[in-house]
Amino acid sequence: MKPNKLFYLTFFAISVALMVGSATAAEVSQGKCIDYDRGTHQITLEEYDLQFSDEHPYGMSTGVQTVFDVTDAMIGIAPEPGDILRLAWVPKAEAKSALRVMNVSKQDLRKK
Amino acid sequence: MDASWLYMFMPIAGVNIFWPGLVLIGFSVGVIGGFFGMGGAWMVTPGLNILGFPMAFAIGTDIAHIAGKSMISTIRHSKFGNVDYKLGVVMLVGTMAGIELGAQLIMWLERLGMVGNVVRWVYVGFLALIALMVFSDYAKARQKKAMGLVDGDKGTEGFTWYKTLHKIKIPPMMHFKAAGIYCSAWLPISVSFITGILAGFLGIGGGLLRMPALIYFIGAPTHIAVGTDLFEVMISGLYGAFTYTLKGRIELVAVFVMLTGAAIGAQIGTVATKYAKGYGIRIAFGVAVLCCMVSIILKQFKYETPAAVLILGTIGVICLYIMGIMFKGAAQELRDKKAREQAL
Amino acid sequence: MKRMIHRLSGMCAAAWLLLPSLAMAAGDKATNIVVVADTRRVEGIMRYFSDLYNTNIWLFAVWTVLLTVVMGCTLGFMMDFIMERTGLDLKSRKIVEH
Repeated sequence: MKPNKLFYLTFFAISVALMVGSATAAEVSQGKCIDYDRGTHQITLEEYDLQFSDEHPYGMSTGVQTVFDVTDAMIGIAPEPGDILRLAWVPKAEAKSALRVMNVSKQDLRKK
Repeated sequence: MDASWLYMFMPIAGVNIFWPGLVLIGFSVGVIGGFFGMGGAWMVTPGLNILGFPMAFAIGTDIAHIAGKSMISTIRHSKFGNVDYKLGVVMLVGTMAGIELGAQLIMWLERLGMVGNVVRWVYVGFLALIALMVFSDYAKARQKKAMGLVDGDKGTEGFTWYKTLHKIKIPPMMHFKAAGIYCSAWLPISVSFITGILAGFLGIGGGLLRMPALIYFIGAPTHIAVGTDLFEVMISGLYGAFTYTLKGRIELVAVFVMLTGAAIGAQIGTVATKYAKGYGIRIAFGVAVLCCMVSIILKQFKYETPAAVLILGTIGVICLYIMGIMFKGAAQELRDKKAREQAL
Repeated sequence: MKRMIHRLSGMCAAAWLLLPSLAMAAGDKATNIVVVADTRRVEGIMRYFSDLYNTNIWLFAVWTVLLTVVMGCTLGFMMDFIMERTGLDLKSRKIVEH
């Protein structure tokens, strides 16, 4: 490789590194969909934990119900009560604002 | 016994993958690709799918790993020996558009929930075609040998389709100096567009199709075709990696695991070609293609474990065979060298 | 043999053309598939990239391409370096691969 190519590569790497500053971490929650209100754009989720097993492939229920605002979210297969969902969300003002909503249980059937 | 340490969690695809299988696929594709001088990516997409990756992830991951691998071979060539850059750039237009279209097709099939089935059957057809080509090539070579003809001269003189194609004069007409071709720009663009679609759809580099297309349809000399194709694979692989990542269908960890394996494997494969003799190895290649095809069919009918065993077993055996050739040959060469030095 | 190749490739082409109509027949259950990387189960650098996947896919794509290039070049140079040291003659034949 010529030196000037190397230079461009380094330059590129540095500019990427600078961009990294703008990356924010999102929380991820998984659980059973209790309700999906299309009018208010809200999903109520019964959160599951990380204890995966053959009987509970999506984890065990913690019993905690959380409400997510999905106004700005990218939603896959439409959630219905009973579906297992996985959400990536960020705190926004008082609410938990979802970025992406994945329908884990329905998507599993389509996999492969 | 607890075998969980053999499985690695892939955070994006959300699957647990048998990682030694991943290493073996990467390594084998390097060895086999390096040895036979053509891709080998055709076994990666089915292989990843059989190991448990959803089909779209298998394709995206394969394409990214091709991009990385073509970087390695480009380094080996140190420079693009014989690239017609003008031809390459013109073809990039078609290749990139084709890859995008192929990727869009995959995403569309995924939305319909049938990507796995469709891609698997297209692969079965594709591999059947490769196997047929390999075997007919072998039969022809045997025939020639039996008739006492010397193999060596390229059989390209037989096909002059490009002469007809060059007569199509749709502007803009272009002159490609390095390749010595004067034709309509639409000819290379459309050829690369079609190979691009297949590359984006199957997650392959496309060299398997682009190389003959460059020679027979466009009329490029063989050495220019090789270099230009390499250039094309690298850039289009990077574009494919980019677009599949944007679509969220890539598993970065798997790409790196395979790439490392492929880098080592490719060295062994290319060195082994020095010591290989005869046509027998081509049969082995054809058989590998057929086994790969059978394992895809097994996977299609939900025989997951036999499918995995068959594909990993086949590429493992071929790998060992090629490594055997390489180590035996290399040891002999080093012995001879030593003997020569001592004689002086 | 040649006729078989032609016939087979013809069949492939036909299948290719049939694809869209096949998909049409599947009806309107088309829905976008959205994937969320499960960052709860990974740590360190993997956590960073999974986070990036969830929040900023463009940056993730840039990283992928960049890392692929860097890794390809590094491995390429490293392997060349190692192979030179084996004492084998690697220059006397053409290498064609990708």
